[in-house]
Amino acid sequence: MKFILFTFLTALLVIVFNPFLPYWGVMLIVAVFAALIGNKGAGAFFAGGLGMGLAWLGQSIYISSFSGSSLPDNMGELMGFGSGLPLLALTGILGFLLGAFSAWTGSLLRQLFKRKPDNIYGH
Amino acid sequence: MKYIGFLVVLALTVALAVAVSMPFGAIPPLAPLLDPYHGFWQNSFSEDKLAEDELELNNLGEPVNVVYDEHLIPHIFAANEADLYRAQGYITAKHRLWQMEFQTMAAAGRISEIVGPLAIDLDRMTRRKGLAYGAEIGIKFTQETDPETYALLEAYADGVNQYIDQLDDAQLPVEYKILNYRPEQWSAFKSILLLKYMTDMLVGDRDLEYSNLRKILGDAMLDKLYPEYPIGVEPIIEPGHKWEFKPLEVSRPDSINYPNDQILLDPLPQPEKGTGSNNWAVSGAKTKSGNPILANDPHLSLNLPSLWYSMQLTTPNHSVKGATLPGALGVISGFNENIAWGVTNATRDTRDWYKITFQDESRKAYRYGDKWMQSSIRIEEIKVKGQDAFLDTVVYTHYGPVVYDKTFNSTRQDVNFALKWNVHEGSNEQSTFLKLNTGKNHDDYNAALDNFTAPAQNFVFASKSGDIAMRIQGKFPLKWKGQGKFFMDGADPRMEWQGYIPNEHNASTLNPSRGFVSSANQHPTDSTYPYYVFDNSYEFYRNRRLNNKLTDMKDITVEDMQGLQFDDYYLHAAEALPQMLQLLGSGFENDANAKKYISLLKQWDFYADPNQKAPTLFYVWWREAYGQIWKELSENLAPVTLPNYYQTVLFMKNEPEGEIFDLKKTPEVESAATHVKEGFKGMLEVMKNWEAEEGDFSWANYKRTKVQHLVPQFGAFSVENVYTGGGAGILNATSGRSGASWRMVVELGPEIKAFGIYPGGQSGNPGSRFYSNFIPAWANGEYLNFDLRKADQQEGVLFTTILN
Repeated sequence: MKFILFTFLTALLVIVFNPFLPYWGVMLIVAVFAALIGNKGAGAFFAGGLGMGLAWLGQSIYISSFSGSSLPDNMGELMGFGSGLPLLALTGILGFLLGAFSAWTGSLLRQLFKRKPDNIYGH
Repeated sequence: MKYIGFLVVLALTVALAVAVSMPFGAIPPLAPLLDPYHGFWQNSFSEDKLAEDELELNNLGEPVNVVYDEHLIPHIFAANEADLYRAQGYITAKHRLWQMEFQTMAAAGRISEIVGPLAIDLDRMTRRKGLAYGAEIGIKFTQETDPETYALLEAYADGVNQYIDQLDDAQLPVEYKILNYRPEQWSAFKSILLLKYMTDMLVGDRDLEYSNLRKILGDAMLDKLYPEYPIGVEPIIEPGHKWEFKPLEVSRPDSINYPNDQILLDPLPQPEKGTGSNNWAVSGAKTKSGNPILANDPHLSLNLPSLWYSMQLTTPNHSVKGATLPGALGVISGFNENIAWGVTNATRDTRDWYKITFQDESRKAYRYGDKWMQSSIRIEEIKVKGQDAFLDTVVYTHYGPVVYDKTFNSTRQDVNFALKWNVHEGSNEQSTFLKLNTGKNHDDYNAALDNFTAPAQNFVFASKSGDIAMRIQGKFPLKWKGQGKFFMDGADPRMEWQGYIPNEHNASTLNPSRGFVSSANQHPTDSTYPYYVFDNSYEFYRNRRLNNKLTDMKDITVEDMQGLQFDDYYLHAAEALPQMLQLLGSGFENDANAKKYISLLKQWDFYADPNQKAPTLFYVWWREAYGQIWKELSENLAPVTLPNYYQTVLFMKNEPEGEIFDLKKTPEVESAATHVKEGFKGMLEVMKNWEAEEGDFSWANYKRTKVQHLVPQFGAFSVENVYTGGGAGILNATSGRSGASWRMVVELGPEIKAFGIYPGGQSGNPGSRFYSNFIPAWANGEYLNFDLRKADQQEGVLFTTILN
C-alpha cells in the first residue's frame, strides 16, 4: 500500500515541480521526499523510479496525442529509431532511472539518521 | 557500512545525473532533450495552442497589436516605426529564431562553433571572402550616413533580444536542443551581415574559368563559344530604349598583360544552379480591370525553415505586406496601399580578381606600379566545437582580401589572388527596403533604390496611379570592355576599376509603350547601352517565354498572371529537341525501348508538367549529348565553365558539321549528329537503369523536388518528393533543389488585391502544423489571399496578441 502511495506521490511531485525545475532539480525533490517519508531499499528504488518514469512517460504520451504533432516520429527517425515509439520508451526509462536512483539515495540518507532501536534484545 | 552504502549510491546518482547532462559525440545531452517538460516534446505544440493574449515587450512607445490570420501570418499594428520594427524583431524571433541566427552564423563563418571541425574549410572560405569585414564597414557607413535607419536596426535587435531573454527551455527551438547550443544576442551588425550573405548567395564570377579558357582556346575561339551578346537576346530594358544621359568616359589601356598561366584552384562557390527569378508588371492598358498588375517569384534553394517569412507591417502612416527576410527589417518583396515592387537578381560581374606580387615572404608589401604598397593583416579566429580555435591569417590589399594564398587552396607559393568586390564597400541596402515600404509613387521608388549597392537587383515597380517601371540597380563598376572578365595583374594600376556607373545611368524604364516591363536574369540592355555589362550567367529561356506571352496577352487578369508564374513550357526543349531528333536519324528503329522513347518525345507538347514522361527523356538525353559535345573542354585539369545551353543549341542548328563539334583527340571527325547519337545511347542506358530500379519516370518522380532543412542531415525535417512540374530555364523554375521560393501577384486597383505563397510555412518549428503547410498548395500553383488587413477586421483571425 505504502509502495503505491509513494509511487503516486512521487509522480505528483514530478508533475507539479518539473515544469519549473530542470530534471536535476526534480531529482533533488524526489530524493528529499524519499528521505522524509520513504520506503526502504528496493521499495524506494522502484517506487521512485516508477513515479518519475510514469510521470515522464505519461506527459510524453499526453503531449504526443494532444498536439497531434509529427515531431516525435521525426525525432525518432532523426535519431535512428524509425519512429517516435522508442523515444517514448526511452523517456520513460530515463525518468525511471533518474527517479529510482534519487529515491534510493534519499532513502539511504534517511537510514543514516534513523535512530537505532536502543534495546534490540529487550522486552 | 551504512555510510559507505549511502555514499556509493549517492555517487552513482550524481554520476547518472551528470552523464545524462553531457553530450556523447554527436548525441546531445539526453535528459535536457527528453525531459517532457523542457525537452523536444515541448516543441510539439503549434503556435495557436500556445497563444497568449499579452506579451511583455519593453521600450515601446505605445502597445502594439499583433493579429495572426489563419495561416499564422502576423499583422503588426504599431503607433510608430520604432515600435513597429521592435515588434517585427520580437515576432520574427518568436517564430524563426534558430534560422535567423544560423544564417548569420553561416555568414560570419562560425558554423564550426556549432558542428565542429568539419566546417572549418567552409568557415575559412566565408571569412576569406570578407563577408563579416564588409558588414563591419556597412555598419559604420550606416551609423555615419543614416542614423535614423541605424536606430531602427537597433530597435529591431532589441526586440529580438527581449525575446531571447524571455525564452524558456521548453520553447527553445528544437534545433538548439539537438545541436546543443543556445542563442546569443542579436545586433544591428547581424542584420547587415544577413544582407551581405544574400549578396554572397546571389553573386558569382567566372574570372578564374575565363582566364583558363582564354589560355586553352585563345581569344577568337573564346568569343565564338562564349559570345557576350548572342543572337536573339531579349534584354530586360526594351530594345531601342533611348538613353537620356551622357555616359562617363572609360579609358581602355592600350596594352594589357593578363596573368598568363592556367590556374589550378577551386573557384569560389558559385550561386546555386537554378538561382534566379522572374518579375514583371503589366500596365492597365493590357489588363481586364484597367489596373496594373505586378508579379514576382524569386528562385532560390528550397529550404526549411523557409528563407521568407510573411508579414503585414502597419503604422498610422503606412501599411505594407509581403515577404520579409528573418533578420532584416521591413518587407523585401511586397506592396503597400500605393505601390508594389519585386526583385530579381541582376547578375553582372561585380567581383574581380587581382594577382598580387608580394615583396617577400612576410607579405607586408606588394607591388603596385613602380612602388611597394603596404598590406594589412586580419586574423580570423574560428572557434571550433570540441577543439582549440583555428587561427587564419588573411592579408588585405587595397583591392580586398587575398582569398587564395599558400595557406588556402593552393600548393604553390606564388599564388596570391585578391578579391575586389563591392560587398566590401560601405552601403546601406536596409534603407532601400524601409523607404520602399513607405513609398507612395515612382519618385519614392527611385529615391529608395539610390541606396542599393549589392546584390544588384532588377526592381520591378507598379503603382496605383498607373505607372509601371523597371530599374536595374546596384553599384556597378565602370569598366572598359573586357575588364574583369579574366584575372588581372594587381601590380598594374591601369587594371583598377575606374569608378562606378552613376545611379542615374543605371538602365531603367518607365511606362514603355509595349505595356509591360519584365526581367528574368537576362542581359540588362541591348548593345546600345554605353557601359560594359558582361556576365557569364545571363539566362536565355525564361525571359523569351515571358516576353512572348506578355506581348500576346490582352485583358489580363490576376489568374492569368498566376498561371504564367506556374507556366511549365520548356522552351529549351522546344528549340533543341526537333533538331536533336533530326540529327538522330533512324538508326535506333530496331530497339524497342528506343522506339518507345522516341515516340514519347515526338508526341510531346513541350510542357514539363509533373505527370509527363517526355521531359525526363529530353532532360537526360540533352545532358548526355551536352556532356559529349564539350567533353574535351570539361576534361581540362584547370576549372573551366562550359558554353551555355542556348549557344550550344545555336551551334547544333547553324553549324552541325562545324569544327567545334570535332573532338581533337580522336582520329574520326565528329559532328553534332555524332554527339546526339552518343547522348541518345547514354540516355538509353540511364533510363534502363532508372526503369529497373525506380520504375516510373514521370517528370515529378524523376526530378524529385525536395524542400530541405537548413541542416541537410536533418532529413526528417525536410519535405521530399514534392509533386510539382517546372524546372530550370522554365518560368515555373522548380527543379530538384531550387525554384520559386516566393510567388506574389498584386493588382493595384482602388482596393489592392494581393496573392502570395511560398514553399514552407510561417513557423520555424518542425513540430508545428504551420511548419510546411504551404507546400501542397504551392506545388499545385495555388495562392493565399494576401490582402491588407485592417486592425479591427474580425474574419479569419487565428489569435491576437498585444505587446506591451
